[in-house]
Amino acid sequence: MGRLSPFQKIYLFLIAGFILGPFLPLIIQSFAFRWAWPDLLPGTWWLEQREKSPIPLAWDYVLSPYSRIWEATLNTVLIGGIVTAICLAICLPAAKVLARDRFRGKSLLEFGLSLPLIVPETAIGIALLMMFIRLGLAGTYTGIIIAHLIPTIPYMIRMLTSVWQGLGREFEEQAMILGASRWQVLRLVTLPMLMPGVVAGALFSFLVSTNIFLLTFLLGQGKIVTLPTLLFSKISGGQIDATGAGIALIVTVPGIAMLLISERFLREEAFGQGFGN
Amino acid sequence: MKRTVALAGLLTLTTAPLALAQDAAAFRDAFLAGETGWPAVEARARDEGEVNFYYWGGSDLLNVWVDSMAVPALATKGVTLNPIRITSTKDVVDVILAEKAAGKRLGDGSVDVLWVNGENFATLKVQDGLFGSFAQLLPTSANIEWNAEDPRSLLNLRDFGVETGGAEMPWSGEQYVCAYNGDTVEEDALPATFDQLKAYLTENPGRFTYVKPPHYLGNTFVQQAVYAFNPDGTGAEPFQQNRDDIAPEELARLIAPGLEYLKSLEPLLLNGSDSGARYPEDPAAIDGMFLNGEVDFNCKFGIYAVSTGLSTGTYPEAAREFIFPEKGMIKNKNYLAIPANAPNPAAALVLVDWMTTVDAQATKLEATGFPAGIDGWTLELSDRAALESASPGLIALTEEDLEANAVPDTNATLVDVIEAVWLDYIERDSTEGIEALVQRAYETLGQ
Repeated sequence: MGRLSPFQKIYLFLIAGFILGPFLPLIIQSFAFRWAWPDLLPGTWWLEQREKSPIPLAWDYVLSPYSRIWEATLNTVLIGGIVTAICLAICLPAAKVLARDRFRGKSLLEFGLSLPLIVPETAIGIALLMMFIRLGLAGTYTGIIIAHLIPTIPYMIRMLTSVWQGLGREFEEQAMILGASRWQVLRLVTLPMLMPGVVAGALFSFLVSTNIFLLTFLLGQGKIVTLPTLLFSKISGGQIDATGAGIALIVTVPGIAMLLISERFLREEAFGQGFGN
Repeated sequence: MKRTVALAGLLTLTTAPLALAQDAAAFRDAFLAGETGWPAVEARARDEGEVNFYYWGGSDLLNVWVDSMAVPALATKGVTLNPIRITSTKDVVDVILAEKAAGKRLGDGSVDVLWVNGENFATLKVQDGLFGSFAQLLPTSANIEWNAEDPRSLLNLRDFGVETGGAEMPWSGEQYVCAYNGDTVEEDALPATFDQLKAYLTENPGRFTYVKPPHYLGNTFVQQAVYAFNPDGTGAEPFQQNRDDIAPEELARLIAPGLEYLKSLEPLLLNGSDSGARYPEDPAAIDGMFLNGEVDFNCKFGIYAVSTGLSTGTYPEAAREFIFPEKGMIKNKNYLAIPANAPNPAAALVLVDWMTTVDAQATKLEATGFPAGIDGWTLELSDRAALESASPGLIALTEEDLEANAVPDTNATLVDVIEAVWLDYIERDSTEGIEALVQRAYETLGQ
């Protein structure tokens, strides 16, 4: 690794500014009481008004049960986790078949699996809503989880198919020749080798699920609040006040946490330990 | 033995809600016929155990009040209040009607109580989506003026000109009030009429805008202009009629001058001279423009909007209220309605009854700045005093000023027409005449 040239440094700086820059005004806004044009910084800060105000302001509101932020975070993580688990259970075997077997109509099936990504979410949402109301699934966790599987499965299938394709049969055959049972092969050879791909796929579908707004909004009917729907109802007017900014910042937390966890996991578990011995 | 007990327990668990749903219709019929005493309603509400309250969740102040006051109050009555914050009331009306179409009857829908008024109530009423005429059967209905001979009862009996028929209970009363920024506007330069507003904007182009129809705040501004330029000089009067009672040609004649005025105002609005007038989409957006000094005035429903705006930092410090337009500030109420397929009808009645108590109304007014929906003159003196002392206070205006300039809303069926014509004539710059546009709106809406 050589040192970075000045050009590379500037380039990195610009990229970092592009990604992190928008957070700066959000952070400032979340501590503001009154921040009006053309002031560069808030004219009145939240802490100055904190004692005088009869109601919780800014972070006091965001972190209180009134804002519903804890409920929304819990719902988002719970739904994201369950969706990811179901998605994996469906996609791991399906991807194996798609990667290793040949059968009639395979390319048509592969194309069909991507269709949910092409059909507009609104169309899916409205149609599902009509069906779910009839079935009593509207406004339930089950309904939302089913809906979230629609956009996550196509991504997961694609990622896992290429993971399976990258995994030759030789390792599994080798283990079998040496006397391993099917279960041992799966547990000690196949899964550890698939692990980096599975983690990447799981991370991706978790992030997709936690960011789905429209389907959750339509099918949750306001009863089930997740971080994206909470944020929408707070800032849909195009005006971000202190509580809106605070909520927007919290909405980014699950994604960041997930990235950090998976980063660690990919580095230590899969490659650090090697294949279980 | 143990197993049978467990089985019996399971059976009662699963059959109890079913039984409640089945006799919900019988409960409704008996209650609406006045045969059910209030204690029986409260007892049934305890059995139902919960109530789903759907309301616009865009106000932090109201959210705090519902969670900290209404939820504990209902808990003392053995009912769990589930506050469900929504962004658009119309979406919930659609859900109610979709559930109804899917065969969900009283006892098995999802919405128990909905905060509503105007077109959304009219839609529910026309589509037969309401529980029935319950309002005057509640104990706290004594806090509301129902006597039709008293002109002050109008806002309780009619919602945007549509008869409420007791299917919704007044919850809050509002008036369309404008605020100005004292840092940028001299008090003696304040406009009092639409012509003066135009003169002010000719001097100071771009310093005003209004919320875009079809948002009700925009519709209301347009209605006020239409009243002011009514060619017969009869103001709001002809607009109380139902669409079926007024011919399109006649309506076109009445609204044309107001819409012409708004069209001529457009180049003077915010950004009007260069990229085309900018209309904010909702109250949060116009509050932002007002706070940032992009505009000098902020017109919306909000008798105490300046007071609450100052306490939350969403209004500039020099914000004050003023009278605009003279003799033409629309006043209305908003209501709590119970849908025809409410899952917990008795608990819904208990909630609406509590919402109409002096205690609920006074704490709501104090905490949120939403004016009371009950009528002060029906109350005992001590209650009236409690309500008055809860008021956050008017900034630069008096109650008498507001009362002297109050006018009623436009009939909900005509609001639809005026809104459609505004969208065609002003937003889409249609070159057709207003009469043709009114005609078309009648045809589209009549379908």
